[in-house]
Amino acid sequence: MSAETHYDVIIAGAGIVGASVAWHLAASGARVAVIDAIGPAAAASGASDGAVSVASKKPGPLARLASASLLYTRELASQGVLAGAFHARPSFVFGQGEAELAALDALVAKLRAISGPVHVTGDGPAAQLACLGPGVERLITLNGEGHMPGHKAVRAYLSAPGITPIWPAPIHGFDIDDRGVTVHLADRRLRTGHLVSALGTATTELFPTLPIMPRAGQLFVTDRGAPGLLPGSLTAAAYLVAKTEAPDVLPLPPVVIDPLTTGQFLIGSSRENHADPNRVDFSTLRRLMERSVRALPLLAERRVIRAFAGIRAAVSDSLPIIGNLPGETRVTLATGFEGDGICLSALVGREIARMVHGLPPTDSIAADLATLSPARFVDARQEAWG
Amino acid sequence: MTGTIFWNGTAIPFRTGESVATALLRAGIISFGAAHTGQARAVFCGIGLCQGCLVRADGRLTEACLLAARDGLHLSPEAAGGQDV
Amino acid sequence: MSDPVLVVGAGLAGLSAAAELARAGLPVLVVDQAQAVGGAFHRQPLQGALSLATAAQDRRWSDLMAKVAAQGSRITLALATQFGGVDHKGTALLTGRMNRLFRPRAIVLALGARESVRPRPGWTLPGVETAGSLQIRLKTLGEAPQGRVLLAGSGPLLLAVGAQLTKLGSPPVAILEAGRPFARPLTPIGLPRDYWIEAAAYLSRLMLARVPILTNTRLTAIRAEGGTLVAEASSGRRFIVDHVALHDGIRPNDFGMPACDVLPVVRLGDCREALGARAAMVDGQMGGAALAARLLGRTAPSADPELARQTRAQARLARIYAHDVTAELNNLPEDTVICRCEARTLKDLRTLGPTPTARQLRLDGRFAMGACQGRFCGDWIARLTSAETSKPGIGAPRWPARPIAVADLLSATDETEGETQ
Repeated sequence: MSAETHYDVIIAGAGIVGASVAWHLAASGARVAVIDAIGPAAAASGASDGAVSVASKKPGPLARLASASLLYTRELASQGVLAGAFHARPSFVFGQGEAELAALDALVAKLRAISGPVHVTGDGPAAQLACLGPGVERLITLNGEGHMPGHKAVRAYLSAPGITPIWPAPIHGFDIDDRGVTVHLADRRLRTGHLVSALGTATTELFPTLPIMPRAGQLFVTDRGAPGLLPGSLTAAAYLVAKTEAPDVLPLPPVVIDPLTTGQFLIGSSRENHADPNRVDFSTLRRLMERSVRALPLLAERRVIRAFAGIRAAVSDSLPIIGNLPGETRVTLATGFEGDGICLSALVGREIARMVHGLPPTDSIAADLATLSPARFVDARQEAWG
Repeated sequence: MTGTIFWNGTAIPFRTGESVATALLRAGIISFGAAHTGQARAVFCGIGLCQGCLVRADGRLTEACLLAARDGLHLSPEAAGGQDV
Repeated sequence: MSDPVLVVGAGLAGLSAAAELARAGLPVLVVDQAQAVGGAFHRQPLQGALSLATAAQDRRWSDLMAKVAAQGSRITLALATQFGGVDHKGTALLTGRMNRLFRPRAIVLALGARESVRPRPGWTLPGVETAGSLQIRLKTLGEAPQGRVLLAGSGPLLLAVGAQLTKLGSPPVAILEAGRPFARPLTPIGLPRDYWIEAAAYLSRLMLARVPILTNTRLTAIRAEGGTLVAEASSGRRFIVDHVALHDGIRPNDFGMPACDVLPVVRLGDCREALGARAAMVDGQMGGAALAARLLGRTAPSADPELARQTRAQARLARIYAHDVTAELNNLPEDTVICRCEARTLKDLRTLGPTPTARQLRLDGRFAMGACQGRFCGDWIARLTSAETSKPGIGAPRWPARPIAVADLLSATDETEGETQ
C-alpha cells in the first residue's frame, strides 16, 4: 500500500472544467494528476461550439457568474494562459415574430441588470450585418463575448508544468479515509489528499444519486468557404429560450450558427434526452437548416460534411453542481454545466482551487456560487452516502 | 450527341453521358483550381470519395467526377468565390 | 403500396441483389451515383465508344441485365443519384437526379470497393490519380488520355489498366510493382483457371507492347516540373510522364456507412468484403435472396460454395503481391501529405505524440476533419500511430454518408411527413 503513487490533488475528468481546475491547482504549487477514461476534451468540451456567452445563461446567479467568468477568462488570455484558445469577438442574437422579439427584450433587460462586460451595441433590423437574410426581423449585436474552442482551452491548461495526465483510465471507484482518498483504476490505485470530480455525464458513475442526465444536441459542420463572412456567432432567440426555460417553449427551430476560423460553420442545436453521440436525424437537420438559410442565405451554397450529437450533462434544476460533497471536505464536485462549461470553466477552476486549499470563495461571487452547492440535493446524499 | 460546358468561361465540348471531370480532362484541364485550404483541386479517386475534384457549378460545390455534364453548364474553381465568369 | 427496398449501387452485386429481391415479389429502388450502370467493373461505355469488355464479360453483364429487365416495373433504377445516408429513424436521403427523403423497407449497400492508395510525396499533384479512376475513364470513353502514363503501386489492377491502355493504343511507359508477384512461381498454381486466363491476356498484351513491368520497385516521389510529372523509382530510375496512376490494393467501400436499428441494412459484394467481380455477383444473389427471405419471413437459402472459393483465391493473390508496406510508410519524408483534404503532413501527425486519442487526432491535428472525413487517410493514420488510436478512431461511424449540399437537403421531397414515428 505504501507504494501507491501520491498526488496532492487528483482531478477526475479532462474536459474544460477539469483542465482549468488542474491548471489553477498546479499554478498554486500542488502536484496534480488528471485522469480521464478516454483523453482530453473527449466528451462535451470537444463537441461544443466554443461560445463564451453570457447572453445564453439563465438570468440570476448563473448569468452573474458567467459574467464574472468572462472577465476572468479575458484576464487569463491576456496573461497568455489561454493565448490561442480565447478570442474576443462580437455575437449576434436574432428574432422573428412576437414571441422571439419579446425574448430579445428580456435579453436586453438581463444584460442591463448584470451591467457586466457584455454590451448591447446594436439593436435593430438585419441591415446591421450585410450577410443576413429575410429570416432576421430584429438583430441584437453584443460586444464583449468571445470564442474559445474547448479542445484548445484544454490543451492550453494541461500544458502547464506540474500536471500528470493519466488516460485512457476509467475510474472504478474511490474510498475516503481520515488522511485522504484512494482512487481505483483498473490496474492500480492512486492516493491523493483531495479528489475533484469534473466528469460531466459520467459523474453518476461515481455519484449515482446525483440528478444528472445526458442532454444531446445535434451539431452539423459545413465544408470550408471564404472565412470572415460572419464575424461572430448568430443565435436565434428561440435557442436562448430553449436553453434558459425549456425546449419547445417557442415553436421556432433553436438555431445557433457558429463561424469557425477555417471558414466552416458549426450549426446547432437540439435538446434531446439521450447519450448517443451518433444519433442524428434528417428531420432535425432540415428544420435547423431551413431557418439557418433564411437567416444566413450564403449557407445555401454549403455542404454538410459531418453531423454528430454533443452530449451535455444536465442537472434536474438546470443549474451546475459546484462545491464540496456535503460532509466531505476531501471531495469536490464541478459538473452539470449543460453546455455552459466553456464560459464558466475559468472561474470554476479558480474557485475549486480555493476550496481545495480551504480558502473561502471570492467575495463578489460567494453568494451566487453557494446556490450551486451539491448540498441542495441533500436528500439524494442521504440515500447515497448516509 | 454532344454539347458544351464552360470552364471559367471557356467553352469545353462534352459527349452525352459523361461527367464534367472527364470532359475537362479530355480538354487538357487537369488542375481544377485551388481549394480554400490552398490544395490543388484535381481528379484523384474518380468515384466521389476523396473530394479532390470539387468545382463550383450553379453556385455550389460538387464533385466533378459525379456531376453530369449538361449543355450550357458554367463551372469555376472552388476558391474563386464568384459563380461563373 | 409497400415501401421499396433501397439498393445503393448498380454494379454486379447491387443489380444481382435487386433481381433476387424483385423475384421474391418486393419492390426495389436501385440508385447509382454514376450516369451509367455497371459499377466499376462493368461500367458501360458512352454511346459509340469502344468497349473494353471481353466477350465473356459482355455475356455476364447482358445476362444480368436480362434478369433485371424480366422483373419489369418491380425494379426502378435512378442514375446520377447519391445516397446521403440513413438516420436512426430509418429515413434515407437521396440527392441528385432523384432527390427525396423516404423510409425504405430495407437498405442494401452495394457500393463496391474503394482503392487503397499509400501516401507518397507528390501524390496530391494534378495528374496523379488512382488506377481505378483512370480505368473507369477508359471504360467510359473508350479512349486513352493524351500523353505518357506511369502505373505504380501494387496489385493485379495495375496489369489490367496497363493492358487496357495498350489496347487503346497508348501503352504505359512502365508499371512499377512494389511486390514480387513472379518471384514465387508455385503460389499462383492454386489460383482458379479464370484468374490464369485473365492474367495471361493482360501479360501477353503488355509484353507484346514491350511495357516494362518492374517488380520489387516502388514509386518514392513525384514532382511537378515544367508541365510534366517526374516520378522517382526506388531503383533510382526517373520517369518523365504526364499522368501517374496509383494503386495499392482494394478495400470495402463502406467507410462511415451508418448503422440503423429500425430497418435491415446489409452490405453486399465488394462493399462487404473486397473479393472481386466474380464474388460480387454471387454475394449479391445470395445476399439479395437472404434479405428477401428475412423480409418475407421465409427460410433463408443455403450459402453458395463459390464465395468460399473466391475468398481463398483472393487470399492467395494477396500472398502473391505481399510486400512490406510498414517499411514504406516509415520511410516517408516528414513533409509528406497524409490528409489530402486539409493538407496535414506526417510531421503534423508526429507532433501529436506517439499515442494521440481519436479526438486529439481530429481536433488538435485536424486529421480526418476535411470533406472526405478520413476516407483516404484513416487507414494510414491508424498504421502510423499506435494501435490504441485506431480503435475508437478515425474510422468511427461518420454521418452523413457523404457531403450533403444544403440546397439538396432543403429541396428534397419529404415523403416521411405526417408519418407517425
